[in-house]
Amino acid sequence: MSPLVIYLALGAWMFMWGVIGVVSRRNPIVIFMCIELMLNAVNLTFLAFARYQPSMMATQANQVSGHMAGQMMVIFVMAVAAAEVAVGLGIIMAIFRLRDSVDVDEMNLLRG
Amino acid sequence: MENFSLIWFVLFLPLAGSLFQALFGGLVCKIRPKDGKQIMGAIAVLSIAGAFAVGAYLTYQLVQLPAEQRTIQPQVLFDWIDLLGLKVPFEVLIDPLSMTMVLVITGIGALIHLYATGYMAEERDYTRFFTYLNLFISAMLILVLGNNLLLMFIGWEGVGLCSYLLIAFWYKDINNAKCGNKAFIVNRIGDWGLTLGIFLLACAMTGEFAHRGEGAASGRWLSYDVILSAGEQVLRNQPGLATTIALLLFVGACGKSAQFPLYFWLPDAMAGPTPVSALIHAATMVTAGVFLLNRMQFVFVMAPAAMGIVAVVGAFTALFAALIAFGQTDIKKVLAYSTVSQLGFMFVACGVGAFWAGMFHVITHAFFKALLFLGSGAVIAAMAHDQDMRHYGNLAKYIKITSFTMIVGWLAIAGVSIPGIFGLAGFYSKEAIIGSAIHHSEATFFGTPVAPYLGWVLLAVAGLTAAYMTRLIWLTFFSGEERWRQLAPAHGSHDLHTAHAAHASHSSDMSDLSDSSDKYHGNSHSHDDPHGFFYTDEEVAARELHEHHHALDAEHVPKEVYPSMWIPLVVLAILSVGGGYVLNPILEGWLYGGATGAEHEGFPSHMTLVLMSTVVALSGIVYGIFVYRKGLPKKEGDEKDWSRFRRSAGAQFGYDGLVMEAGIDGGGAIANWFWRFIDATVIDGFYNATGWLASQVGYTLRLIQTGAVRAYALLMLVGAVAILSSFWYALQQMGGPK
Repeated sequence: MSPLVIYLALGAWMFMWGVIGVVSRRNPIVIFMCIELMLNAVNLTFLAFARYQPSMMATQANQVSGHMAGQMMVIFVMAVAAAEVAVGLGIIMAIFRLRDSVDVDEMNLLRG
Repeated sequence: MENFSLIWFVLFLPLAGSLFQALFGGLVCKIRPKDGKQIMGAIAVLSIAGAFAVGAYLTYQLVQLPAEQRTIQPQVLFDWIDLLGLKVPFEVLIDPLSMTMVLVITGIGALIHLYATGYMAEERDYTRFFTYLNLFISAMLILVLGNNLLLMFIGWEGVGLCSYLLIAFWYKDINNAKCGNKAFIVNRIGDWGLTLGIFLLACAMTGEFAHRGEGAASGRWLSYDVILSAGEQVLRNQPGLATTIALLLFVGACGKSAQFPLYFWLPDAMAGPTPVSALIHAATMVTAGVFLLNRMQFVFVMAPAAMGIVAVVGAFTALFAALIAFGQTDIKKVLAYSTVSQLGFMFVACGVGAFWAGMFHVITHAFFKALLFLGSGAVIAAMAHDQDMRHYGNLAKYIKITSFTMIVGWLAIAGVSIPGIFGLAGFYSKEAIIGSAIHHSEATFFGTPVAPYLGWVLLAVAGLTAAYMTRLIWLTFFSGEERWRQLAPAHGSHDLHTAHAAHASHSSDMSDLSDSSDKYHGNSHSHDDPHGFFYTDEEVAARELHEHHHALDAEHVPKEVYPSMWIPLVVLAILSVGGGYVLNPILEGWLYGGATGAEHEGFPSHMTLVLMSTVVALSGIVYGIFVYRKGLPKKEGDEKDWSRFRRSAGAQFGYDGLVMEAGIDGGGAIANWFWRFIDATVIDGFYNATGWLASQVGYTLRLIQTGAVRAYALLMLVGAVAILSSFWYALQQMGGPK
């Protein structure tokens, strides 16, 4: 089995590209995908910790619940992400109808 | 058993009288148009006379007691201020000093009230006058009877208020209102010192009691009985503190008692009706400072430097005011400067440690100065309210009682005596002061005893006093010619009737002035107000129109005043003759139980001194008679011909003008500087800079608010990294992650 740090490094690598994508891309769909990338990077980290947890846990019962805790969290994240995308796509559709464009740089209504 | 709670009658009878005058005076005068004024006048006199009777009874009770028991337990009416650490009851103190002052105030005050019923008989605002007059007496009684410094302060401010109300009694004449303002404002300067002195004393006492851990229960730190015992312990080891307190209190005394730097309100106080002048000068207000020094003498005794300053200031004031008196032509102003000068004598007495002599002079001065003022009022009334001595002459022929009593007052203030046998009132007290000054060496000025020199200065001033009083008496009552006979044509191009018509038509709103016998009130000689400090140009111009309306003309025949006015004169004349002789042997023992530690040789002590002062007084009188025997000297008639000395004396040697200039122009310049630099530049600049800074910060921060979501995301990322880094750093500091 590969050491835990490999998984964490992969998660961090994915998260970094997600951040770069969010900050630098102009297309909201791509930004969404990058957010998903970050969420999945975190999910990977959760799972890795859950998998490697036994060495840190004291009792058998805690090991079982520990496994389940990490995986439950991943499911939650995916559910929330799906709901978020549904709402976000709706907002993007509405903006597109309003302005015939979804370029993020043109969306600066929050400017002070 | 003595019942000393009767003292409340002394305190509240005049107050009740004042209230009655204020509430029902108008009503009574309306119901009884004919004799309403007499009724109200009688009530006003009776309330003061009643207070005097009760005071005399209590004094009699006090005399019965042995000397060491004569300070009665304070009589408490209610708790006035009750804080956690400070308690100020409304309490009165009965001791020889306060009862002496009570007798002087109510006794002389009652006589002056009696006189005023006649003097003010034609006045429309009769009851208003007596409201103020009774209030004045009650404020002064609170001042002397209160057993703590705060009560004294109430009375102190009360007499200040009443003096303002009374000096400006004829307020429709702008000059009078101006003089009232001046008295009030100058007195505020003195009050500044007095309040600071009281505060400082209270602070010192608080420290002492906190240190002792007692007295918190009583907390009466400002009561005389407490500060007398504790104050000596506190101040004994802190001469600097004692000197500061003493000097601050002395500033207050200077303001009220018209000593040198702050004397200049008192001569202007002549603008009030003459009974007011008599009351202020003789019985009430100006004695407050001497009383304060007597009451707080334990502070002064512990501060030799302060004593020295008191004595030097007193002597200088005595000399300065006596010199100014030579340049005055207004009969009341001569007397006013004479009061300032005599107050200087009293302060020298206190300064050299002979506090009782100061009180002695307060009493005798009250006798003869009240007499002189009331007499001058009678003269002024007889001369149709002309106050210029140059228009008098030979009045002894017309107003015999007034002239006789005033001559008695003149001899009394000059200090005339038959050495070794008898002297008039002023002789004994003046002798006591000069004698103690020459013999005492308590007062030091930077280590040098000054008192003896001051004694000689006072002796010289006594000669000056005799001289200028002789000038006043001779120009008024003797000197052969009746100078008002040549008066009328000289007074303006308009004749008298048109002048009066103009006066009446111009001042239809001043009917109370023009329908009374007083065609022109107050003095026409107070200085002008070139700075427009009190009044606008229009008001001053309106005032000018009222000048020069003398009812005095060549056909005028002076008449003797009513009995209600000359009876007080006679009583005061008797007191002026015998008062000093009676009081001299007993007063020191009575006031301070003979336990002051002062030399007990009794004054006058040395025959040489008595002879010298008699010679000085007589030579002053002889000089005066010699100069004025043939009437007004030619070069004193017109002010243009005045000698240099007399001209500058008439202008107070420029002091009054200087003070007004410094106060108004200099004060204005300072205020201007504060406005332009401190307010407009520094303070406004600070606030403007604050606003500018906030707007600049906001403008800069606005640049970040692009509205671009990704920029915000980037900022969030940077923030998250920063936070995590700081956590990382903190973790490292605590030993690194395990």
